[in-house]
Amino acid sequence: MTGKDNPQPNKNQLEYQAREKRVWDAVRLQKPDRVPIVCYDEYFSLKLGGVTPADAYYDIERAAAAFVENVTKFNWDMISLFGNLPGEVGETIGLTSNKWAGCHLPANQEFQFVEKEYMLADEYDQFLKDPSDFVIRKMWPRMATGLGPFGEFPSFLMLSHAYTPIYELAMLAGQPNVREMLEKLIAMGEQMNRYTAGLDQAVSALAEKGYPVFIEVPAHAPFDWISDYFRGIKGTMMDMFYQPDKLKAAIDLITPQMIDYTIQTAKEMELSTVSIPLHRGADPFMSNDQYAEFYWPSLKELLLSLIEADLTPMPYWEGSYSNRLPFLAELPPGKIWGHFEVIDLHKAKEMIGDVMVFWGNVPSQTLISGTPEQTRDSVRELIDIFGDNGGLIIDGSVGIPKEAKLENVIAMTEAVFDYGVY
Amino acid sequence: MSQTLIEAITSFNKEGALSTTDELLNANVKPEEILDHGRTAMKIIGDKFECGEYFLPELIISGDILSSIAERLKPFLTGDGTKEKLGVVVFGTVSGDIHDIAKDIVISMLDVNGFVVVDLGVDVSAQRFVEAAQEHQADMVGLSGFLTLAIDPMRETIAAFKAAGLNDVKIMIGGGPINELVCEDIGADAWGANAIEAVAISKGWVGEKA
Repeated sequence: MTGKDNPQPNKNQLEYQAREKRVWDAVRLQKPDRVPIVCYDEYFSLKLGGVTPADAYYDIERAAAAFVENVTKFNWDMISLFGNLPGEVGETIGLTSNKWAGCHLPANQEFQFVEKEYMLADEYDQFLKDPSDFVIRKMWPRMATGLGPFGEFPSFLMLSHAYTPIYELAMLAGQPNVREMLEKLIAMGEQMNRYTAGLDQAVSALAEKGYPVFIEVPAHAPFDWISDYFRGIKGTMMDMFYQPDKLKAAIDLITPQMIDYTIQTAKEMELSTVSIPLHRGADPFMSNDQYAEFYWPSLKELLLSLIEADLTPMPYWEGSYSNRLPFLAELPPGKIWGHFEVIDLHKAKEMIGDVMVFWGNVPSQTLISGTPEQTRDSVRELIDIFGDNGGLIIDGSVGIPKEAKLENVIAMTEAVFDYGVY
Repeated sequence: MSQTLIEAITSFNKEGALSTTDELLNANVKPEEILDHGRTAMKIIGDKFECGEYFLPELIISGDILSSIAERLKPFLTGDGTKEKLGVVVFGTVSGDIHDIAKDIVISMLDVNGFVVVDLGVDVSAQRFVEAAQEHQADMVGLSGFLTLAIDPMRETIAAFKAAGLNDVKIMIGGGPINELVCEDIGADAWGANAIEAVAISKGWVGEKA
């Protein structure tokens, strides 16, 4: 794909290599030839091709073709691949923890997570005692109607006797509702295989055209894992006050498992980057004291462990992060590829300009409601502030929202070529 | 004892706040008065939020304590309270967006600051906003949205108010993707970054009318 096996790489292969090098130079805080442009583009290029989020969730071949055709119009250096939960899979298994276009939401809306307490306040002890058992038998039935029969399974530990798996599993598989669930799981697997094949095709097509795609192993801040998926934001914040020790015990339990899982998955998939979308650590969500007590220690441990395993964490510092800069400054230089949405730019340069590349943050508001001139000004400001040591990659603050005006996205790109050559 | 209630809420002691509520009821203190003490406590917490001492957890915890107190008082409340309300706000998260946490916090802060708030929930269509504003004779409308996906539905909702001729109803917007540029672009009357700003905007508007 990168032309390694070809003694005479063609033009697209050379461009692929140049783009990739430009991006990684910036991540390592070494000056590339030009400021790179790396965009999260979930639905913008699809929209240009007349494909709605609903289409993308249900017609992967059409979406992949439209994405490849349109995203390559911009001459960006690296792109994220669109792709989310396939609608068929969600419907097959009766997923209730998400809502998505084409099923519950209007065709042009993005999928959303249904925030609620999937683990109740008084269930921490059960979770801490046997987390996997709790997740499979208690949480899965709450997240998808099709996984309900798992709630009737015996404790998984009790299936470890030499005979019980055979007897118990055979008895269970004979039950009509379990059989129905197994059939749904098989159907879901086939649907997912079709979906990933479509995505793989898009990656190959983009590589052929000279565009690298960043594909990452996903990981989460352990606090977010509990807050996003188990307890909800209200639940977690109540826990910070009413049962802080249990919340911390859950985070402590998850952290080493998250680290092992992420490193192992990255090795199996031969990937070097780990995407970490961060949610509940942004400025408005808690004080710096609360961040230091509940959020940062496990996130820092995750980041440092990934770096030690030669992986590059890509934290997406979603929301405002100016208050957290002293924490971010504790991280080793040139090892983190961090995306920023809202931050005091000068303070960021001062405190972490030599620590991590600044990736972002042409405001989504400017891309959506501003003018090309305002967009150019924003790019120029970023280059003026962060460009001196090469530690800058341009993107929109939340990637390129589908609501962005085309002329502003073009202006953003052109401004980099006009002002961003080192 | 009323001071004890305020202190229990501002120190996030839910059990203490509820037992003091019971004691106040037993001492024949009017439930409306007890609720007023709760509002006083919320104002103290709101002030600390505004000056950066408190953050979201404190708003969520105190909101939860106050709703538990209100729940406890419900059987004893007569009518809808004696205090005059500042104005009527119709509030909801716009079409296609199902986020409710920010909306709920803003609504609770508007409520404790003396507004009647009609909560339309999440994923609310433009038409539903217009109908509710007409039905409740709203002075103002609050449109909440968490992601950039909320901007187009907000624009459509504002257009629907204009199309219905409801030009006197003020519209404020808020949420992560909003700033001045967006506010101006989609034609809202004001935007706020958090619950405290929403209260200030709303109070400003009823002040203008008075």
